[in-house]
Amino acid sequence: MSFDDPVANQSAVMPLLFAADLQDHLMTASTDLERLQRLLDDACLALIEGFHSSAGQLAEVIDRGHEITPELQEVRHKLFKAVTALQFQDMATQLIAHTNQRLRSCADQIARDALGADDPDGAAVVENVPLKPNPVTQDEMDAGSVELF
Amino acid sequence: MHSILAVDDSASMRQMVSFTLKSAGYNVVEAVDGQDAWEKAGGRSFDLVLTDQNMPRMDGISLTKKLRENPQFKSTPILILTTESSDQMKQAGRAAGATGWLVKPFDPNKLIEVIQKVIR
Repeated sequence: MSFDDPVANQSAVMPLLFAADLQDHLMTASTDLERLQRLLDDACLALIEGFHSSAGQLAEVIDRGHEITPELQEVRHKLFKAVTALQFQDMATQLIAHTNQRLRSCADQIARDALGADDPDGAAVVENVPLKPNPVTQDEMDAGSVELF
Repeated sequence: MHSILAVDDSASMRQMVSFTLKSAGYNVVEAVDGQDAWEKAGGRSFDLVLTDQNMPRMDGISLTKKLRENPQFKSTPILILTTESSDQMKQAGRAAGATGWLVKPFDPNKLIEVIQKVIR
């Protein structure tokens, strides 16, 4: 073994069983994230349907020329609050996709570098780890910044 | 009535944006990504374009560049509404010809306020 060969060095320091176990954990986490995405989509679909029903009823009342009472103003205010909150689905979806891509890339890298020809599933195709940083940096649902050029 | 082209690959985001803009009296045409927006922009004019950045086929900055090459959209306000908040991305948006950069999640009242400010 040459000490100048990084792949050979990695294989030497990472026992096969440990590598297989780590790869298994990464794939499980990735599958769980996909399940989380489906749960999120289902929940948001129900929330958005409820939102549109309320928004539609409000629009009908206004279209009929009904006076915009303080109560209706309050309903509109609450719907606007919901608009901000419901955007979490879009942000969460991007965050999950980004994290999942990284996890799968790590799992494939381990499969290629540590297991190599011993991998019963054959040689792994390694996706490039996204070079771009995570696009979602927000950690709360406060409205974001506005900058006019 | 002013017409706005709203571009986002997320169906839920398009719904939130449309609800907000329609409730403020704007006519809204939706597009599912930059390419779709580019095709829809070819057939008519809009008073404002509100676009996401990260989308398949064509992103928001590429769309902005292409629209600015079209004389019809030379002075149309283009706002980028995105989760991206890095200065590097904002500068790229500015260089492409965007009018403003709004970071998600948006506050509906604030979005309407900004649109009223930039729309002609």
